[in-house]
Amino acid sequence: MRRMTFRRVLWVCTLQAVVLLAVVVVALKLGAVPISVTDLVYSLGRVAIGHDSQLPSQFQVIVFGLRLPRIILAIFVGAALSVAGAGYQALLRNPLADPYVLGVSGGAALGAICSLIFAPEIPLVTPAAAFVGATLTITAVYFLGRRQGQLDGSTLLLGGVIVASFLQAVIMFLMTTLAGRELRGTSFWLMGDLSTPSPEEIGWVFAVGLAVSIGAIYSTSADLNLMLGGENEAIHLGVNVKRVKLVVYVAASVLTGLAVSVSGAIGYVGLLVPHALRWLVGSDYRILIPASALGGAIVVVVADTLARTIAAPTEFPVGAMTAMAGAPVFIYLLRRRMR
Amino acid sequence: MPQKFLSQAARVCVATALLCVPSVCAQTSLGTPGPVLRQFTDEAGRRVSVPVSPQRIISLAPAMTETLFALGVEDRIGGVTDFCDYPPAARKKPRIGGAINPNFEQIVALQPDLVLAQALTLNRRETVDALERLGLTVYATSASTVEGVLESTRLVGEVTGAGQRGEQLVTQLRERLGRLKQRLEGRPPRRVLFVVWHEPLISVGTETFLGDALRLAGAVPVVETEQDWPRLSLEEVVRQQPEYLVFASAHEQGVEHLLAGLKQRPGWRDLEAMKHHRVAIVSDAINRPAPRLVEAIEQLARQLHPEAFEEKEVTGSSQLGLRPMSSATATARNAGAGTSR
Repeated sequence: MRRMTFRRVLWVCTLQAVVLLAVVVVALKLGAVPISVTDLVYSLGRVAIGHDSQLPSQFQVIVFGLRLPRIILAIFVGAALSVAGAGYQALLRNPLADPYVLGVSGGAALGAICSLIFAPEIPLVTPAAAFVGATLTITAVYFLGRRQGQLDGSTLLLGGVIVASFLQAVIMFLMTTLAGRELRGTSFWLMGDLSTPSPEEIGWVFAVGLAVSIGAIYSTSADLNLMLGGENEAIHLGVNVKRVKLVVYVAASVLTGLAVSVSGAIGYVGLLVPHALRWLVGSDYRILIPASALGGAIVVVVADTLARTIAAPTEFPVGAMTAMAGAPVFIYLLRRRMR
Repeated sequence: MPQKFLSQAARVCVATALLCVPSVCAQTSLGTPGPVLRQFTDEAGRRVSVPVSPQRIISLAPAMTETLFALGVEDRIGGVTDFCDYPPAARKKPRIGGAINPNFEQIVALQPDLVLAQALTLNRRETVDALERLGLTVYATSASTVEGVLESTRLVGEVTGAGQRGEQLVTQLRERLGRLKQRLEGRPPRRVLFVVWHEPLISVGTETFLGDALRLAGAVPVVETEQDWPRLSLEEVVRQQPEYLVFASAHEQGVEHLLAGLKQRPGWRDLEAMKHHRVAIVSDAINRPAPRLVEAIEQLARQLHPEAFEEKEVTGSSQLGLRPMSSATATARNAGAGTSR
């Protein structure tokens, strides 16, 4: 493990933040409706110093009413999914753990769909139901993965895959038998989709949930480092393993629930980003957690920008984008590790 | 007790909201010298303020586009979906993406003063809400019967300021349906299988405008269900043996080609209707809640009950009294000639 200093964390995060900013500006420029760079930079500058932008009103709505909120949501979703992934990977001591592979995204999606069927009128019921679904699923998968009181890596992953396919089947069943009018377009959302603007209050709930959950996981990062060597060893070193596990499981489920409720199941981000960053910055969780948050944000913003521009004005789901790009990269990383 | 309190609280809220509405309207009309607004409650129960004569209308559904053309307001259509293909002139309008996943940027860039959605039966509720949050005026229709479709057409005519055209159009369509009903009076409905999709087999439920259209055409589905688009088991269909198979398509050859393939398959080849080629092919207009629906219903009725149209042709036309005098007398004279011979 590389030596970890505060300066190094700062360096890595600043670098990532700069990349993220650049990506955001490019994402603000690109879209179905062309907007010139000069217009965009000029009005961004004006907005930054507190003036009104000079764009014609419809461009203003497109840039600040549509693209910016969507990009911010993509940043939130990316950060949530990768930190959740990093958290599960630490707890389960398995680099292949990820909300999608473990079925947690599926559980959250099932929760969200149930809320749409049974109580679509209650505000914020969808993220709450998604959280409940995510928590129940990770609990089930956790117990499936235990053998003689110990977590077994391959049993856990298999358990996750089986739970994921079971949940998929239940979703399919609900959609074919109960498919009322409220579920129209659900299949699109299931694939992972950011195209429909969310209400502002959802954005605020997401921002608060994201900050609290990432903060909670970050606060346990020193303990997570010690737990990498094994839970018993960590207990001997004075770590309150039960508390750490509870905090990280709940926080990671909150993150998954939030991400799924606004964007459906976007795969590979939670698996790939922490994985790639571990390779780039090392596996110290004090740097991996913030780096994953920023890295995940960059990846989802890039993926969503591609998804909405590649075949404009038609959009395709961002989840298809991350899966198409993610699977080959994952195989590459896997083979590199094995060599 | 708490329930009572809640309902009272709700009433107070509604009352306050209602009091606020005129003041908001007054503000907008004072602040901008812009268009005069009219209040409507749309079919999804939303309150909408629409300019008296909207000039840039965006249609979020193929049926809506057809309706706008039928109402004669096509010059004021600012954008349509990728799937709006009727009438052919609709293809020349700017595109805004699909009905389920429209491109919001494109919609905003077209600066519509009215967006028309076919909510709940095609467009998603989320789409309507999102457009509303962007400050656009969205009017949503939602019809689950043929009469509902006609009423939607009339209301859309009113909302878009199409003048008398909407009323006239709907009155004519209602008359046509009335005449059709007379013709089919007393005839037992045909038991049909409406094939929305053949693999997997998807049909249509009774609670939809399409289910209602089948009923008006003198048909009854062999498998009745309340789901909108039920996936049926072919086994059950074979057991029920529909009298007719009904396909909807813009291209008859396409259906014939498909039938030739299905005839070879187990299950399908065991259907009596398939063996005797009792197949009705109707225009795909039957899938769209728009004025052409009535024409498609007539077309289907003609194929399912040909005898109703043969024998009543003469009496039907003379009974109506709508024909010009000369042709009516000509019919009478022919009839007279027939008896005298």
